[in-house]
Amino acid sequence: MSLEQDWKQINEGSDDDLSSLLRPGQLNKLHSLSPLQKIKRHLFINMCWSIAVALLYIVIMVEFPLWPVLLTIGITQAFTIWAIYTAWHQYKNIAPFAGNSLSLLAEMERHYYGMNKWIKLQKKVAIIIYPISATGGYMIGGIVGSGKTIEQFFSKPIVIIALALVILILVPCCVYLTKWMFNKSFGKHLAALKKNIEELKAEK
Amino acid sequence: MNETEFLTQVRLNQGIIYKLVGLYANDAEEKKDIYQEVLLNAWKGWPAFREEAKFSTWLYRICLNTIFTLKRKKQHIDYKDSLEPLSPAVEHSGIQKEDLQRLQQAIRFLSETDRAIISMHLDGFENGEIAGVLGISNNNVAVKLHRCKVQLSNLLMQKL
Repeated sequence: MSLEQDWKQINEGSDDDLSSLLRPGQLNKLHSLSPLQKIKRHLFINMCWSIAVALLYIVIMVEFPLWPVLLTIGITQAFTIWAIYTAWHQYKNIAPFAGNSLSLLAEMERHYYGMNKWIKLQKKVAIIIYPISATGGYMIGGIVGSGKTIEQFFSKPIVIIALALVILILVPCCVYLTKWMFNKSFGKHLAALKKNIEELKAEK
Repeated sequence: MNETEFLTQVRLNQGIIYKLVGLYANDAEEKKDIYQEVLLNAWKGWPAFREEAKFSTWLYRICLNTIFTLKRKKQHIDYKDSLEPLSPAVEHSGIQKEDLQRLQQAIRFLSETDRAIISMHLDGFENGEIAGVLGISNNNVAVKLHRCKVQLSNLLMQKL
């Protein structure tokens, strides 16, 4: 028997796992495990948290109407709103399911670039927002903890040095952690997609 | 959307899903996840399905697109152990179970993209159709297919 004939015989196959999904009423119970669907869910959760944080910033600004706090929290607030807007924009544009008209190569590229775009955005947000929010948090903590005014709190050089150290240590740590988490979650999948895209495109 | 009609079509062509997933899934759990995702994507795409294409070709495209974009486990090296037993329907189809398993194992030794090309070829797709489903040129399909055939016959000649 030829290979083609042998191979076509497997068309007769099925198993219990597959058959159980082909019962009426089962289809509407299925939920997607697609990475893009997961990203979409993460974006939605991110937006909810960002809105909660933005509201918290308003409370902080009302409770601590000191100009350095207003300035740093104000800048952080502006970035948070920008991040919410960007996340919303991306949320709308991510389509875990793009119909069935795309070729395999186009579909893999769509997934690959969709995920990378999200990762780049999150890294950008991390690099921009973390230093400012760390400064804001440091000042609020310092003022509340010491019971001093902002001028009194910053009068000692050690406080400014400590702030610089907080930024220098905390920000790279957070950025590194963000990168690590993305790699842990999607690194292998992205590498596999990239490999298959390159393999399919290769002419030799 | 007519669920009954959809399910009838899928049941008639479920061998495509079974066969393709069997080439890529590394274990039973992963296989179930892929089945689920393939059916979900097919069900979502069903309203847009036009009968310009054959249902089997359409399902083939969905299967491959889903398998390649779903996050899967790292591929095992030991293909023999990770291979699921063939379904009873295949075992009773009159051909040697061992032959089919050897063929399946040999295909699993190929790269992921080559597996897609050779399975489409063995299922009787023309190079142009394969090129359309994969999104590459006809020439590229021909080159890759030639290489796959050589690799496959070498693998089948060896004792897997």
